[in-house]
Amino acid sequence: MAKPTTGPLQLNVIARSPFTVYYEGPAEVLSASNKVGQFDILPGHADFFSVLAPGEVIVTKTDGDDPTTFSITNGILTVRDDEVYLFADV
Amino acid sequence: MRRANLIEKEGVQIGTVEDLTGVFESIASTQVAKVKHKVELSKQFFQLLWSRYSAIRIDPTTRITSRQEREGNGRQAFVIISAEAGLSGDIDQRLIETMLQNYDSASTDIVVLGSHGATQLTQRGIKFSRFFQVPESDEYIDVSPVIEAVMPYSKIIVYYEEYVSLGVQEIQTINLITSLKDMSSTASDEDAITVEETIFEPSLEEIAEGMEMTMMTLALNQTILESSLAQAASRFNAMAVAKKRAGELLADYKLEFHRAKRAESDRALREVMTSLKKKRQRAGGRS
Repeated sequence: MAKPTTGPLQLNVIARSPFTVYYEGPAEVLSASNKVGQFDILPGHADFFSVLAPGEVIVTKTDGDDPTTFSITNGILTVRDDEVYLFADV
Repeated sequence: MRRANLIEKEGVQIGTVEDLTGVFESIASTQVAKVKHKVELSKQFFQLLWSRYSAIRIDPTTRITSRQEREGNGRQAFVIISAEAGLSGDIDQRLIETMLQNYDSASTDIVVLGSHGATQLTQRGIKFSRFFQVPESDEYIDVSPVIEAVMPYSKIIVYYEEYVSLGVQEIQTINLITSLKDMSSTASDEDAITVEETIFEPSLEEIAEGMEMTMMTLALNQTILESSLAQAASRFNAMAVAKKRAGELLADYKLEFHRAKRAESDRALREVMTSLKKKRQRAGGRS
């Protein structure tokens, strides 16, 4: 699933609902779940497009700060060249 | 000239109107500030999601929007997004007038959102096929009953109110189906998300279909939210004008009241002077 990357080993995450910005910035890992089960997105992940299941999303940051955690009722997640867009509560 | 106490009573009533319009003006101003921020956030969200949706590459003929044009009932639906209550100035009236310029009852059904629009149409003797209330909310609302109502139509035109500035609100239209189709074809092939390069969970077809409905729902909600902002701004303007007018009226009443009071006082003084004069005359006659 992983593919080689030439950039720094980090994700650039934009996680939003229509009226809330949950997180925007660099991250090490993003964890969420879909119909198949829980999964983690790490730098170098293959391009990915998924409909998310209700549950918790955890964004682990690169600066060692506490992870950002939020709950969603549904969502769409796209990963492309380490750019992660998470659209919650659509 | 009217009596001063009557003018005073009316002046108090006008004062109450001025106070009330001031309160409504403040509420509308707060509402504008609150909704404006949400509209901005929602627009950004919509654009980001749109950029991803439009990049998905599937057979265009299988899209809901393509099927709808082929399999729709051949009629068009005008969706009118108006205010739920009055006191929103003339914006709903302008909305109805704009819609009526293109309305042909032979080929078009009207779906109304908001009681104010429904009232305006009824007053003009124009029938509408469906009516939905718009809950007072600055969040997204459940528009699935509206989507369900308009899905059988081949063409869905939404008439809504757009906030340009506090002083300017415009009437806009969006073709819900073609706008989705147009947007989905704007992404360059370079940006395209294809099944060869991307993992889809569930399948590409399921995601594309789900996204299309989501985008339609979001687009409709976006127009409702935008209209709500425009209505709040229009209400603010209407209340500001009403407050100013009430203030002017109150100033006139105050002037009239003081004149009447002065006239009453002069009359009383005249009466005292006259009676004094008569008394003196009587007293002079006796001496």
